[in-house]
Amino acid sequence: MNTRSVISRLVTAPGATGHEEKVGDVVLELFSGICDDVWCDKYGDIYAKIGSGEPTVLICAHLDEVSMIVTDILENGMLKICSLAGVDPRVLPGSEVVVDGKVQLKGIIGAVPPHLLTGKENAAYKIDDLTVDLGLPFEKVRELVVIGDIVRFDPIEPLELKNGRIAGKTLDDRAHVAVMIKAIEILKKRLINCTAVFCASVQEEKTGLGATLSTYNVRPDIGIAIDVTHGPTPGAGEYDCFPLDKLVLTRGSNIHPKVYKMLKKAGDDIGIPTVTEAAMGHTGTDAWSMQVTAGGCATGLISTPLKYMHTNVELLDVNTLENCAKLLAQFIANIDEDWEAQLCLDD
Amino acid sequence: MFKDMIKDIVTSYGPAGRETTVSKTIRKYIEPLVDEVYYDALGNLIAHKKGTSGKKIMLSAHMDQIGFIVTDIDENGFLRVATVGGVNPHMVLSQGVVFENGVKGLVYMETKDLSYASLDISKLFIDIGAASKEEAEKLVEIGDMAVYRPDFVDMGKRISCAAMDDRIGCAVMIEAFKKANTEHDVYLVFTVQEEVGCRGAGVAAYAIEPDFNINFDVTSFGDTPNATFVNISLGKGAAIKVMDSSVIVPKAAREFLESCANEIGAKFQREILRAGGTDTSAVQKSRCGVMASCISIPCRYVHSQVEMVDMDDVNACVDITACALSRKELPGF
Amino acid sequence: MLGRLSEIYGVSGDEGRVRAFIKKELAPYADEMHTDRMGNLIVHKKGEGKKIMLDAHMDEVGLLVLGIREDGLLAITGNSMDPRVLVSKRVVVGPNLVPGVIGAKAIHLQSAADRESALKVSQLYVDIGAKDKEDAMSCVSVGDHICFTTKFSDFGEGLFKGKALDDRIGCALVMKLMMNNYDCDLYGVFTVQEEVGIRGAQAAAFSVQPDIAIAFEGTTANDIDPKCDIGHVTKVGHGPAISFMDGGNITRPQMFKALVSSAKEAGIKYQLRQGTRGRTDAGMAALAASGCFAGGISVPTRYIHSPVSIASWDDFNAAYALADHFLANKKFLEVNANV
Repeated sequence: MNTRSVISRLVTAPGATGHEEKVGDVVLELFSGICDDVWCDKYGDIYAKIGSGEPTVLICAHLDEVSMIVTDILENGMLKICSLAGVDPRVLPGSEVVVDGKVQLKGIIGAVPPHLLTGKENAAYKIDDLTVDLGLPFEKVRELVVIGDIVRFDPIEPLELKNGRIAGKTLDDRAHVAVMIKAIEILKKRLINCTAVFCASVQEEKTGLGATLSTYNVRPDIGIAIDVTHGPTPGAGEYDCFPLDKLVLTRGSNIHPKVYKMLKKAGDDIGIPTVTEAAMGHTGTDAWSMQVTAGGCATGLISTPLKYMHTNVELLDVNTLENCAKLLAQFIANIDEDWEAQLCLDD
Repeated sequence: MFKDMIKDIVTSYGPAGRETTVSKTIRKYIEPLVDEVYYDALGNLIAHKKGTSGKKIMLSAHMDQIGFIVTDIDENGFLRVATVGGVNPHMVLSQGVVFENGVKGLVYMETKDLSYASLDISKLFIDIGAASKEEAEKLVEIGDMAVYRPDFVDMGKRISCAAMDDRIGCAVMIEAFKKANTEHDVYLVFTVQEEVGCRGAGVAAYAIEPDFNINFDVTSFGDTPNATFVNISLGKGAAIKVMDSSVIVPKAAREFLESCANEIGAKFQREILRAGGTDTSAVQKSRCGVMASCISIPCRYVHSQVEMVDMDDVNACVDITACALSRKELPGF
Repeated sequence: MLGRLSEIYGVSGDEGRVRAFIKKELAPYADEMHTDRMGNLIVHKKGEGKKIMLDAHMDEVGLLVLGIREDGLLAITGNSMDPRVLVSKRVVVGPNLVPGVIGAKAIHLQSAADRESALKVSQLYVDIGAKDKEDAMSCVSVGDHICFTTKFSDFGEGLFKGKALDDRIGCALVMKLMMNNYDCDLYGVFTVQEEVGIRGAQAAAFSVQPDIAIAFEGTTANDIDPKCDIGHVTKVGHGPAISFMDGGNITRPQMFKALVSSAKEAGIKYQLRQGTRGRTDAGMAALAASGCFAGGISVPTRYIHSPVSIASWDDFNAAYALADHFLANKKFLEVNANV
């Protein structure tokens, strides 16, 4: 499958945190097309399993998108909203959105025109300052929208930029769901000596619920999270950002030192450049929940640098994603009967 | 009758981690209605009524309340305290408190070098009327906990008292169970230590492995003068949780509760809280995941001495729950 | 034993050396020893009766190499430390234990404003004497752990000083207890990553699922101001501290009573841990699976989470005696859920 078209299908499907059914269906279909053993769990995590025997490797990329929720309907039909998970209100003014009411409705999050500003507006917009305009009269809004309905960024396809780069919504982290699909395709042509369970996980942006439940369900020996990290951004910390053309491997207490080495070796084996990120504690990814659930597993983290995280113009390099799939596949293919010794911690 | 039970439960002593007294009060009401009652290691009180459907419903409400714990007694007999749960120093200033053994005290503040704006718990102390350390130590020990001195006010339709959060939830659970006709296995869990991080509920859910959970807790309010925006009002019915900062309730679960409300014509509002969490989150992530939901009782002035609820809302919560318990089909994934 | 434990390098996520030491020392006494996927060491002495978990964390506060600068200095990030204690300390970096120092602008180069403000971790760096980035990269890598090198020794009267007393004191206590025989199913659990969010204990307690857990800690002793009679949490030399509540656990009253009675019965001078802040492994043990009784016994320790701490031998020995008496008397282990 073509990575770009898979990404387009994924990012245009609805899937707010805790409401991942529709994008889950898309993933279910995509997984089923390349894998015989596909299922989903109670909260909507979608799994695809290949290979058999020990060890079991669980790979998580999350499915949910940052989004908002309707908290009130004003007398003029305007909607008040708050963040459901992960939304920075400063990016909202001037945005096109979709409201999942009885039917799908287009909405605009407006802003006060500069002519009416007093010149004293230094403060950023807060979510309470903003409303969603559906362009409909109150009665109509009442009929179609209720408190608790989801408000999402307009599901448009990513924009093709120069040098193989794309920009769009929800590349965090559905670009990596596409990576998982690509990795499965690569691995189907190779012999593997372990069980690899690929999981599109739910609710990462809120509580890490999907990663917790999938780890409890699968009981993996090794857990790999694939997520995004920050690309070069002016004004950000020197060690917080990474070049778009390189994959990032994390070291630190959230990461099993041997899994880090195995990932690095997988990259070296096939000539894919990686850089190392250090994190003392929380990595802010599914790896955090996976590491300690149900007795714990050996965790690893592969990240693709992405700019403008949690906006609808998230920007990354598709070649780096392709490399991510190759590295992940190589890592899984490298696992042999010696795995237990390889994972053994140095004492 | 219902109000008498509420008063009895809401005025019982029981800060997080010291729930024995309130658990005994609750046990008195629930024991005659069920097959067995027991405690777990954390102190959760669990009442179990066997059913025939093969499905397990766990109802839960936390029985602990916020309070203070004595960390030091100074030479003049003043008690220095740390908070147990989300205690706001401004709300407790000059309030009466009571210890498990009945000793009463007052909360006041250091007056030197202090502005009200910078008030924090380290600047507060409890005066139990002791004139010296020795006198104080006869009444209270380090590690003892105090809670707001309960003052139950009945205004007719509305009632007020400290610890409505979440004794009103406990009372709703009991009353609904009394009214319900259910074929399911029902576990009524009165949880501990919610106020210090939703600790009891997850442990109980792990042991019970329910098919469905309804949690009961109070929710915030936005209907008082110049209040922060929260779309919840007293008297507008039960609040069915959509989300809070700790959990997103599965749509199937909240739609199930809403359909129960619609079936019996009970008023309800949808609760979206930006701050605050509840036991639902701990139950949700137990084992392979539990279908967990929450009915909230609208409550004004949460975590103060004067938490207020409306009996119409309370009764709506009871009726919706009774209806939910009597349904054959429970929400599924 | 405590002295050797204290001097081992073991920042959160890099506990291997501590684990190796404990494994070697306890091998003759254990029925089973197992290192789980996170690195927790679980030592089992099989027995009948209650399942008891004695817990101490192996990790200590320290730093991590965040990046390597063009000039060969190492940018750093830390855990659970006040950055004001870092300047001008000696450290070792990474698996090769490369020596280094934490540098900052000399006082002569500081402006008046500089002198007033505390240094942030982002303004500090480790200098290993490297000429440039390439030179540094020949012996250290991004993500390497950085550890203090303070020597352990006796100190003053009846005291000792060293690094990592939080929680190698706990490790030493649990090790000593595991060398004895008690009438129960006994687990000694040495956890990882306590200082980055009580991580190891979450996994380990789920695996063990004990009936009773006791966390052993070197805990805050803020007893330096003679004029202040409140807020000291514990006092050095006043005996082991029993916890009624910490940031992650409220000890169940029956468990608290059992610990206090055990101290009284054995004639041990004890104190209460008169503070509620700071989480310990006890909280995670209490919540594992369907829950258990969890308590804490601590040795008062001054200046924890810094390169050098102080504690008392008498307190240490009394903490051991208290736990020993508790474990040796079955009545204490019969803590009952019903009240």
